Amino acid sequence: MSYFNIDAQALNTYDAIVIGSGISGGWAAKELTGKGLRTLVLERGRDVRHVTDYPTTNKQPWEFEHRNQLKQEVREANPIISKCYAFYEGTEQFFVKDAEHPYVQEKPFDWIRGYQVGGKSLMWARQTQRWSDFDFEGPARDGFAVDWPIRYADIAPWYSHVERFAGITGNKDGLATLPDGEFLPPHEWNCVEKHFQQKVAAKYKDRHVIMGRAAHLTQPQPIHFQQGRAQCQHRTICERGCPFGGYFSSNSSTIPWAAKTGKMTLRPNSVVHSIIYDEAKGRATGVRVIDANTKQMQEFYARIIFLNAAALNSNLVLLNSTSHRFPNGLGNDSGVLGKYVAFHNYRAGISGEYDGDLDSTTDGRRPNSPYIPRFRNVLKQETNFLRGYASGFSAGRISRSDQNGIGADLKESLLNPKLGGWYVGSHMMGETIPKESNYLALDSSLKDPFGIPQLKISIAYDDNDDKMVKDYQEQLTEMFTEAGFKNIRVRDSHAAPGLDIHEMGGVRMGKDPKTSMLNKWNQLHAVKNVFVTDGASMTSTSTQNPSLTYMALTARAADYAVKAMKKGLV
Amino acid sequence: MAGAVGGLISLPAWANGWTTETVLTTRKILSVGQTELLAEMVETIIPATDTPGAKALNVHQFVQKMVADCYPKTAQENLNKGLDSLNDLAQKSFSKPFAQGDTAQRTALLTQLAQSPDQKEFYSLVKNLTIRGYMTSEYVMTNLTHYEFIPGRYHGCVPVPQKAASQGK
Ligand SMILES: Cc1cc2nc3c(=O)[nH]c(=O)nc-3n(C[C@H](O)[C@H](O)[C@H](O)COP(=O)(O)OP(=O)(O)OC[C@H]3O[C@@H](n4cnc5c(N)ncnc54)[C@H](O)[C@@H]3O)c2cc1C
Ligand code: SF4
Repeated sequence: MSYFNIDAQALNTYDAIVIGSGISGGWAAKELTGKGLRTLVLERGRDVRHVTDYPTTNKQPWEFEHRNQLKQEVREANPIISKCYAFYEGTEQFFVKDAEHPYVQEKPFDWIRGYQVGGKSLMWARQTQRWSDFDFEGPARDGFAVDWPIRYADIAPWYSHVERFAGITGNKDGLATLPDGEFLPPHEWNCVEKHFQQKVAAKYKDRHVIMGRAAHLTQPQPIHFQQGRAQCQHRTICERGCPFGGYFSSNSSTIPWAAKTGKMTLRPNSVVHSIIYDEAKGRATGVRVIDANTKQMQEFYARIIFLNAAALNSNLVLLNSTSHRFPNGLGNDSGVLGKYVAFHNYRAGISGEYDGDLDSTTDGRRPNSPYIPRFRNVLKQETNFLRGYASGFSAGRISRSDQNGIGADLKESLLNPKLGGWYVGSHMMGETIPKESNYLALDSSLKDPFGIPQLKISIAYDDNDDKMVKDYQEQLTEMFTEAGFKNIRVRDSHAAPGLDIHEMGGVRMGKDPKTSMLNKWNQLHAVKNVFVTDGASMTSTSTQNPSLTYMALTARAADYAVKAMKKGLV
Repeated sequence: MAGAVGGLISLPAWANGWTTETVLTTRKILSVGQTELLAEMVETIIPATDTPGAKALNVHQFVQKMVADCYPKTAQENLNKGLDSLNDLAQKSFSKPFAQGDTAQRTALLTQLAQSPDQKEFYSLVKNLTIRGYMTSEYVMTNLTHYEFIPGRYHGCVPVPQKAASQGK
């Protein structure tokens, strides 16, 4: 499609192209423009500007026509996205509707997406823990996947770099499984959470309950004020967009920061079709873009390309970037592109009640909760499954009113709720094992609305995951019992993969080009000027939430890319 | 939508949550007669006392809107059929249309519905939505349960206040 004359080509040429403006793309944009590169950011969705494009952020509960419940027709038209807990009347505008981007579920997979400037950073739950060497050494030690080409020490300074800018609240807990970071003051515990923490600490040497680490400004620093952000006000309706910039999103933080350099060109409504590989030059020269409004294809060129379309879409773009040299997808000499996809197991949960501490309650709201770092199979293999799980935990008190009556009595009891006991709950976040049989491919006949082949997703839970669910239920039941919690109930949602929204892999990092796609700088082994720094690059999944790691890897790779560019290496 | 009081000047200032106007944006699933009857029904469930009841807060409009927009077809049929039979049941039980019964008569009839195998689904649909509409109305949330949009704080262990007000999200 090179119908352009030389001038047009020059006009469409940049130092760098970033594909996607979500959590990782925002960081690529910030770092590359910050280092002086003229950077084009291509985003398939519409623009979403901080504050002005958050239509529901200041709506009171009664201002929602349906009290935040989804319309029946929306639910029926969107069976996939309607399963996501964060999709409701106040957030509908930020999630991809099922028909917008169809895909093939070779096995059930609920693909949850946000296509707009900011990607999923607008709606995420903001939990941000560092990964540790137990995670980076896992594959080498436990014998699954391939060895990571990096260790914690490689990424630690970059964690600090992104934490300081994004603003992360947390407590320094001194745990080997969960390295401390650059923290703003931690959120407050409530009495029952504290009680549980103490009970667990008393019984188990190796199990800890800590305050969650989350991307909230509990005490903004000058760098946050410079971004135009302010202290988090504890509204806990973050997924509608926060006018205070109280939590980190690309929209409130990295994208406007990149824009301020004057080096960024942000092009929304630009669906990247593929990356262009020039055989003569032996490098990628640019990208093909379909304009979402006109459906016209257009080309843009750059020295380096950062692929940050979110894990599955980054796989899709590479699989669709075929050439004589790379008939099976860009950089895919090894044949592993699209394979070894993994995710997090969120299937299991547990709840209970507690009748101590009845003279105390909580006041206000907290956009965060305590966290139980992984304690299984850490120092030795002690179970019949590989790896382990982290867990969320929280406690609260509910007011209840008797709703049995009618008339004035009913009204009276509705308006005078009785404070019930404490409820406690936890959910698991299990590590799943990347396997060759969990793969992505392009469907040979079905196309999406832009004429791009549909992504075929073939990902499933296995026996290891089922055993882990059982162990979580048993161990947490034991811990809950130890703490004196009553009416303990465990569950297994049997949800399909995908709803965890932590899909990773397919373009994994590794030392050996024969078994991996990317080197230790997130650079395609075979195409040195293409960097993939989102979840697609993960070799294994850890038990921690992933996005902080995507941010750190992105900043690290951008630093390397610019240095390598200056040395003429890419 | 909210804040749109429209032409209904007779409504007090706080009742701007749902108005006839916002309900009109929805497919109409009830006749005028049925709507009036529903208003009497929600008012019986949550009546005016020293504070407004469900009818003055337009909860019947809310119920209608929710059933039209957010519930499966079967719920709409239930609501229609249930309302249609309400006057017959009133005739049988106190020889008057439902609206003309006194509080005790209406209350007794609805209490009976709650137990009736044919009617209890209809009744609990209306009752649940009435409670939800009432409790999340602007009037109740601002004047009675004192909802805070921006608490600005979280304290984990405070003494239980003498009178606990509910705090939803
Ligand atoms: C409800 C919810 C809760 C979550 N909670 C957490 C949490 O607590 N902690 C955590 O770590 N993570 C959480 N996540 C996951 C987190 O949001 C993702 O891991 C993160 O956003 C991934 O960053 P990314 O840059 O890879 O992708 P995204 O943020 O999704 O951004 C990708 C961008 O690329 C664009 N794009 C895609 N394809 C193309 C194309 N072909 N051309 C151009 N642009 C394209 C998309 O439109 C999008 O804007 C949560 C997610 C959700 C939805
Ligand atoms: S909790 Fe904090 S970040 Fe979330 S919406 Fe409220 S002020 Fe914003």
